[in-house]
Amino acid sequence: MMNSSLLKLAALNASRKPARTVLTAGMVVAAVALLIISMSWLDGIWDTMLGGSTDMIGHVEVATPAWADRSNMNPLYENIADVEPVLEAVRSDPNVVAAYPIIETGVTVSVGEEIGEHFGGVVGAPLEYMQSRLRTEGKMVEGRWYEGPDELVLGHKLVRDTGAKLGDEVVILGVTQDGSMSPLKGKLVGILRAGTPAIDAKVYLPLERAQYLTDIPGGAIRVLAFGEDYKEADTVAASLAGRLPDYAVRSWTVRPPWNQTYAMMGAIRGMLFFIVVFLAALGVWNTMMMSVLERTNEIGVLRAMGLTRLGAVGLFVGEAVAIAVLGGVVGIVAGVVPYLVMKDRGITFTEKIAQDMGDMLPTVETMYPQLEPSLLVTAFLMGVLMAFIGSLLPAIHAAMIQPVVAMRRN
Amino acid sequence: MFANLKSRAALGALLGALLLPAGPSLAGDETVELGENPTVDEILSAIDQNMVFESRTATIKMTVEGKRRTRTFEIQSYGRGKDDSAMEYLAPAREKGTKMLKLGDDLWMYMPSVDRTQKISGHMLRQGMMGSDLSYEDMMASDELANMYTAKLLGTEDVEGRPAWKIEMTASDDSVAYPKRISWIDKASYIPVKQELYALSGMLLKSWTMSGITEYDGGRQFPTKMVIKDEVKADSQTVLEFSNMTFGVELEDEVFSQRWLERK
Repeated sequence: MMNSSLLKLAALNASRKPARTVLTAGMVVAAVALLIISMSWLDGIWDTMLGGSTDMIGHVEVATPAWADRSNMNPLYENIADVEPVLEAVRSDPNVVAAYPIIETGVTVSVGEEIGEHFGGVVGAPLEYMQSRLRTEGKMVEGRWYEGPDELVLGHKLVRDTGAKLGDEVVILGVTQDGSMSPLKGKLVGILRAGTPAIDAKVYLPLERAQYLTDIPGGAIRVLAFGEDYKEADTVAASLAGRLPDYAVRSWTVRPPWNQTYAMMGAIRGMLFFIVVFLAALGVWNTMMMSVLERTNEIGVLRAMGLTRLGAVGLFVGEAVAIAVLGGVVGIVAGVVPYLVMKDRGITFTEKIAQDMGDMLPTVETMYPQLEPSLLVTAFLMGVLMAFIGSLLPAIHAAMIQPVVAMRRN
Repeated sequence: MFANLKSRAALGALLGALLLPAGPSLAGDETVELGENPTVDEILSAIDQNMVFESRTATIKMTVEGKRRTRTFEIQSYGRGKDDSAMEYLAPAREKGTKMLKLGDDLWMYMPSVDRTQKISGHMLRQGMMGSDLSYEDMMASDELANMYTAKLLGTEDVEGRPAWKIEMTASDDSVAYPKRISWIDKASYIPVKQELYALSGMLLKSWTMSGITEYDGGRQFPTKMVIKDEVKADSQTVLEFSNMTFGVELEDEVFSQRWLERK
C-alpha cells in the first residue's frame, strides 16, 4: 500500500472518532503547555535567583588558594595581603567589566554603652559594589549610603534587633586576621531593607574600615569579578586563571552552595520533562490502544489485502504523530498565552518566603517567567516524542494481528 | 603518689603566676628544700612557696609568631593577691590603651578606640588573647582550676639537661578546657619548666615552656621567658618575655577597679 494511502487512512481514522482524537490531542496539548509554563517559570525563578546572587557573590571570585580551600570557615588570615596588583590584573582582562575587592566577616553589633550580642556580618567594599551589585535601589528605607570613613549602613534586621536610629553611634566588635578582638564604631547614616537576611543582617562599611577592623591594611579577602553575563562566568574564570596562576579563581558554578544547586536544578528539569512526557505518553497509549482494539477486524482485512506489519505500525504511529503535530501547535499557543500574561504581571515573593530562602535569594524580587525559543521547539518535539512512544506499543500490537484470527472475531 | 589539688594554686595557675598573682596566704619568702623522694604534695607546696606572691609588677613583651606575620605587644602588668590583676597595652599603636582587668572570676577588657568595656565570658574565654596562643581562659587560671584536678607523680625526667619531676594532672570534670595536663617541675628551682595540655581525646592542645630562670630578692627563683604553643594552630607560637619584675610592691587600690579600666 502506498504511503499516501496510509496517511489518508490515518487521517480518516482520526476523524472517525473525534472524541478519541480530541482526547489524544488534548494529552499532547496539555503536556506541551505544561512543559512551557513550568519550564519558563523554573527558568525565570532560577535566573532571578542566580542573577541576584551572582551579583552579590561575583560571577568569578579570586582568592588565595588557602582561603578557597576553607572558604566556609572564612579564615581571614588567608587574605590577599596586597590587593591592588590582583585587582589590576583582573580589571585588565577584556572579559571583565567590573571588579571589586571585598572583606566579609562576622561581628556583634550594638548601640549604647553595653556591647551586645546581636550577630551580623560585615561587608566592606567600594561604594560602587554596594550600589550596583547588591541591587539596593529603592531598598534604602531611611537615610543614604555612607560618604565618609566614619559612617556605616545597617540592614533592617540589625536595626530592629539593636534599636538603632539614624545618627546613632554603632559599635561593632569583630576580630582581626590574627584573631584579636577588634572594635569599630561608626555613625549610622542609612538603613537597608530587602526582606532577606542576606541583606538585612549585614553592616555595610567602606573597604578601608573593614581593612582596619580585620587588620588587613591594603588587602582584601577576595576580589569579585563580573563579566557581561553571569552565564559566561566559566569563560571569565578560565581567562582570569591564566592571568593569576597563584590564586584560586572560581566561577560561581563551582562554588558552594551554587554548584550543588546548579546540579539540582538540572535534575529537577530532567525529572519534570520525564514525568510530563511519561504521563502524556501513557494517555496517548491508552487512546491508541482503544483504537487498535476497536479496529481489530478492520486491521485483519487490511493485513489480508496486503498491508505489511511495518505498514500497520506506520498507520497507527502516523495517526498519533499527526495528532501530536496538531496538538503541539495548539499546546504552544496554550502555553505561551499564560506565559505572556505572567510575563507582564510576575509574582512577588513575600518577605517570609524570602527569609526562608536565606542567602539563596539576595533580595525580595518579583519573579517573571523566562521563555527561550529553544524551549518552544523542545516542547513541540517532546509532544511528538510522547505521541510516538505512546502509539508504538499499540501499533506493534496491531502489526502482530493475524488476518484470519482478526476476521473470525466478527 | 596522688594528691588532690584543692587549695593548690600554683599548678593550676602556672601562667597566672606570671601574668596574675596568687594569694597572700600562699606567699612565702623562704626557700624550700625537698628530700630525695618527695611526694607530689610536697612538690606542689614547694612550687607554691616559690611562685606565689602578694603583689607584683612586670613589663611583658609578647611576641605572637603566626603563619604569615609576627606581632609584638608591650604590656604593663600588675597583680595583687590571688584574684586581682590588671594589664595595660603600651604598644603597638593599634592596641595602645587597651586594658584588661581580672577581679576574682570576672574578666573585662577596655577598648579605647570605641570607649567601651567588654566583659569576656562564655565562648570568648577560649579565644586567643590578641590572637596569641594564650587564651583568656588560660589567663583566668586560678585555684578554681586547681580544684578540678588530681595529681600523680610519674617520675623524673631531664628537661633541657636539668632534672625535673614529671607530674600528671587529670580533671574530674570533663568540661574543663584541658582535661589532662602533664608538667615537668625543675628540681633545682621548683619551676614548672614545661607543661603539656591535652584534650579528653588525648590530643595535645597546647604546650608551655618556661626558661630564663632568674633569682630575685629573698632567693626567689622565677622564669623570665615563656613560650606557649597552640598545637592546633599550624606555625604559631607566642613568646612572653618578662622584665622589670618587682615583687611585694605597694599598688593602689584604684588599679584594680573599673574606674582604672576606663581611665584615659
